[in-house]
Amino acid sequence: MSPVALPLPMAVCAPVSLSDLGHLLQVLWTFLSLSLFSLGGGNTLLTEYRHIAVDQYCWLTSNQFADIYALAEAFPGPSSMIVGLLGLGAGWREGVGWSLLSGYGAEIAILLPSTLLMVVACLSWNRLKDSPWRLAFERGLGPITLGILFAVGLKILTTSNHGVPGYLVSIVVCVLMLRTRISPLYFMAVAGVLGGLGIINR
Amino acid sequence: MAPQPQDHHPKAQDQPSGLIELAPPPDLRDLFIGMLQVSLSSFGGGLSAWSQRIVVEQRRWMTNEGFLTGLTVARLFPGPNQINMAVYIGTSFRGLPGALAALAGMLLVPFTGLMLLGVVYFHVHELPAVDRVLAGVVAAAAGMALSMGFKILDQYWRDPMALFLAAGTFVAMEFFHVHLIPLVLVAGPLAMAWYWPRHPTPNP
Repeated sequence: MSPVALPLPMAVCAPVSLSDLGHLLQVLWTFLSLSLFSLGGGNTLLTEYRHIAVDQYCWLTSNQFADIYALAEAFPGPSSMIVGLLGLGAGWREGVGWSLLSGYGAEIAILLPSTLLMVVACLSWNRLKDSPWRLAFERGLGPITLGILFAVGLKILTTSNHGVPGYLVSIVVCVLMLRTRISPLYFMAVAGVLGGLGIINR
Repeated sequence: MAPQPQDHHPKAQDQPSGLIELAPPPDLRDLFIGMLQVSLSSFGGGLSAWSQRIVVEQRRWMTNEGFLTGLTVARLFPGPNQINMAVYIGTSFRGLPGALAALAGMLLVPFTGLMLLGVVYFHVHELPAVDRVLAGVVAAAAGMALSMGFKILDQYWRDPMALFLAAGTFVAMEFFHVHLIPLVLVAGPLAMAWYWPRHPTPNP
């Protein structure tokens, strides 16, 4: 629907040239350092993922990021597996082998620190349970998570859509997600048909 | 719903939660297979409900109370909730090795499937037909992303301070492009200080 493909002047993203191994280590370090900030189930990290993958390291284009988010949401299993796809995209220039290594590595990296913390938390839960730290953390971080989720939703919305029909579909799906218990897979299937028919464009 | 073996215990009706016999604690292999079963059963959604059904009702590894405690811990700490839940189940029985076995069981099949889908995607995404369909799918997925905040808005609706903190966080990210890590490191302690439990006076 939008006649101009890119309304905003976009700087061409230039990937840093690194050796294959250096690139892999960069991917691992990136996700290791983000792991402990995955509040509220991990969706809070999505804007950060987009920034890293699209603007900072040029692993993906903005459209590819939107595609990958949709694939991870549609695929059965925890939606945080999107990190594996980001790793896959990061290694794609180096061939499928490196790419898969980078994908598995990225997922392990994002899960490792939070898993270790979770193990410690389980083993010391009886002491933590009534601690003021726990209460303050739970009640304080909740509202911050809420604010982040709204910012994340808006970012994904503007990343994914390039025209009025797309925005309309997003808003309708959002309302249906809140008001009904219909599986989102149906929404994606219908929207996919609308895309195939050329009603939703980018 | 009442499972057969319970009929042998006449007292079970008095205190149902206390007397349900738990299975012997699972070993690493059991944990891996149990979580694999959870992940395969939940194809199509409802991961949390399936893990409760399999871990509590079917395999009887833990009581419902134990499971709900796990959900509390899993939601509190960083990391994806379902994955933290698997870590909780594994850790409860076999410590760190148990956590890793449970994690591997839960992720191995779906993650490998997603990686294969990803490889296919990167090969074909430039085909016009694929791109057109994805342009639609992506719009629906964005609607799901947009609904995340609204889903938990209700529980903060009556707390003006929470709404203020949420609004401040949103503005900082959206208009001042503050990144997540500095944002959480600054706003987190401030919010924790505000909500620090005070004994003599209840929260304003």
